[in-house]
Amino acid sequence: MAEPATGGASGGVPSWGPHNTVRVVDPSPVNWLSITWNTMEEANRVDHEGMGQPSLAAGWRWVDDETLELDVRRETVFQDGEKYDAQIFKLAFDKVQEWTNPHPPGAFLNFAQDTALTVVDDHTVRMRFPGGNSAALMKLRGMHIPSTRFWNEWGFIDPKTGTAEGHW
Amino acid sequence: MLADGISTLDTRSPQVVLEPNLTHWNPGRIPKVRIIYENAIPKEDAIKSVAAGDGKVDVVTDLTPAEAHAFQGGSVAAIHSQPAKTVLAGVFNENKLDSPWTSIEVRRAMNMAIDRDAVLQQGAHGYGSVMPAFIQTGRYGADPKLEPYKLDEAAAAAAIEKAGLKGREILVLASPDWEGVVEVMTANLAKVGLKVRADFSKTEPEGWDIKLVWHFDWSPQYPVGVVHREFFGNNGAHRAMPEDPQFDALYAKLLRTPHQPAQEEVVREVERYVHDQARALFLISPSTLFAVSNRVSFVAYDTCMSELAETTVR
Repeated sequence: MAEPATGGASGGVPSWGPHNTVRVVDPSPVNWLSITWNTMEEANRVDHEGMGQPSLAAGWRWVDDETLELDVRRETVFQDGEKYDAQIFKLAFDKVQEWTNPHPPGAFLNFAQDTALTVVDDHTVRMRFPGGNSAALMKLRGMHIPSTRFWNEWGFIDPKTGTAEGHW
Repeated sequence: MLADGISTLDTRSPQVVLEPNLTHWNPGRIPKVRIIYENAIPKEDAIKSVAAGDGKVDVVTDLTPAEAHAFQGGSVAAIHSQPAKTVLAGVFNENKLDSPWTSIEVRRAMNMAIDRDAVLQQGAHGYGSVMPAFIQTGRYGADPKLEPYKLDEAAAAAAIEKAGLKGREILVLASPDWEGVVEVMTANLAKVGLKVRADFSKTEPEGWDIKLVWHFDWSPQYPVGVVHREFFGNNGAHRAMPEDPQFDALYAKLLRTPHQPAQEEVVREVERYVHDQARALFLISPSTLFAVSNRVSFVAYDTCMSELAETTVR
């Protein structure tokens, strides 16, 4: 029986061994994407039955045909202790918008350059898509939201090329 | 779809070790195990390891139907078949010189020539399902009134003959993973007067006729953006036909329809359109296949991603 990762009596980090380790060989050409979605988090995710679920956005609503408002999840912190809020969400959007074609699957995941994201308050952001973009939630699934430290130390820049194009 | 040179990593660590984030906001999704991706073990050896129960590998992803069918795990391991959001379809090369595939009658005849049950049962060892076009029955966007093209060899043969294609050799490209599927297609198409020359070399020789493409839908209920667009959209990586203004107009309509249930109705409209136009040679939705040690309680994702938050050791 696997020891719960949340710890035994001490509640600390488990002692890792064969009893609580799963070894996987994933020869898929998109195994990099599985690693990404096992380690990064986005506004929404897709569950094991293939259905969209809230994640770092606790919910969302289309205010009108061009405006999506998202509830930024409250009382959430990154592993490095940084508090997650609407400014962090906006930082992730600003970072991805710096590049022409950051997503390996292709430009269809890009937000148009005229997409605007405004912080309404600490727990609300509003995205405006001139002309409409019902694909927004699909695109948000690919917009990773890490802590500030990630951007400062790594980002998605390929050290060999110095660019994040095709490297998100 | 992903492309070599962009998506394929050119370097990788022999192992990637994932440990749970114990401070995650959602305690219900904190993994109960550590995951180690073994990148240096070849797939064939990994499958043998799972079958032998030697403890070196617990899970192998992405088995082909043939590999899953041949797997002998005895009491220590088994095949996990997941009915994932996948598509296996033939792309018609409408761009080749004097392409016969620009004809809707011919494309429909090709769809009527295929015995999808045989493709599934014989070609893919039963691992998957038959579906009308690109969305599985019961999934978001599926049209309950839409049915797969019915097998009608006589009508297909008549249309092939009328188009002057009887006796023609056609070049079918496919991954070796789908050799069984191509064998069934070859037999099916022979019955309507076409001879298949199969090419499993993963190259794209000029003048090819049909290319088998496997694709998957990882999206939160947006199959047209991830799958249909990739095959038929003006920026689709698999498109082998002139731009289709009708498809592009439907996609633009979808983009302007954010609210449910109206959005799902547009998805159904797209699905009906590509089906009625026989825009592809519709085949099956293959299951994703895993070799899994019995010591693991494995939860697979319908997205085809090996997300493992719910997987545990028994």
